[in-house]
Amino acid sequence: MSGSIQATLSGASHFNLLAIIRLLLDERGMMQREDELQKLGSGSTEYKYEYSPELLETFENAHQENDYWVTLNADEFSSLCPITNQPDFGTLIINYIPDVKMVESKSLKLYLFSFLNNGEFHEDVVNKIGKDLVALMEPKYLEVVGLFYPRGNISIHPRYFYANGDVKYENIKEHRFMQANMNPQRVG
Amino acid sequence: MSLRKISIQKGTLVQMSSNELLFLGKSGQPYRGSLYISFISVGESFDSVDFKHYITSLRSRTFYAEDIAYEIFSTIAKSIETKELGVVVELSARGGIMQRLSFGAEFSVTRKNNIFQVG
Repeated sequence: MSGSIQATLSGASHFNLLAIIRLLLDERGMMQREDELQKLGSGSTEYKYEYSPELLETFENAHQENDYWVTLNADEFSSLCPITNQPDFGTLIINYIPDVKMVESKSLKLYLFSFLNNGEFHEDVVNKIGKDLVALMEPKYLEVVGLFYPRGNISIHPRYFYANGDVKYENIKEHRFMQANMNPQRVG
Repeated sequence: MSLRKISIQKGTLVQMSSNELLFLGKSGQPYRGSLYISFISVGESFDSVDFKHYITSLRSRTFYAEDIAYEIFSTIAKSIETKELGVVVELSARGGIMQRLSFGAEFSVTRKNNIFQVG
């Protein structure tokens, strides 16, 4: 039994059964998450520089009763031009509404690093990452925006949209799609 | 790697910057950062395409982060003669810690607010 539960049991003058049940469930959930995750807290980390979607890991969404946004910003994305092999750089923004599974951020970091020596067009990168994350998490809604640094004075900002078929999320997808370029973004 | 020399006017203040520095740390983790270079010409500079290739080559090389400014400084110093050569590297945070490394002459760097800013 964890220290926090023991403290609750011994310190409470009136038993708050709900609080104890909640602590037990939280502890069980955390242990389950620890069992699921291989990358986070592993001590040593192996970095791969070739496309490796198998690096991605998930943990269970503890708040499935709520719809909420998760935004992941990756400012250090880099891959190679498939034709010239010259490096490309950009910021990736991933927004999603989770269902049961959520992507673990260290595994996402390692997965994004794995594009380092991969030749990909910007448009392909964004779609590929979107599809990988959909296959991994089966989210209610997900979008990926790529804000790539200019090449030849032109910057490319592809966007990927996905909804799970439910009317609510399909409406979000349609709305986001229609509004996507209303406020063109600048990379800071 | 050596950089090809080009002849330029003596006494020119040459400053360069790039937001696209990438190399591997000793753990293999990629490091991202910005690079700033400043020197006064004694009649020569280096070919910018060579320099781009050199910077790109760092993507697959491993360094302690603290050595990256010296690595770039020494490559320039071996290739051309300069006065007051200085190299500054600002790295993005790792474990919440940001590093600024400099080697050679100190100078004030001009940071762009965003990568589209001209001048």
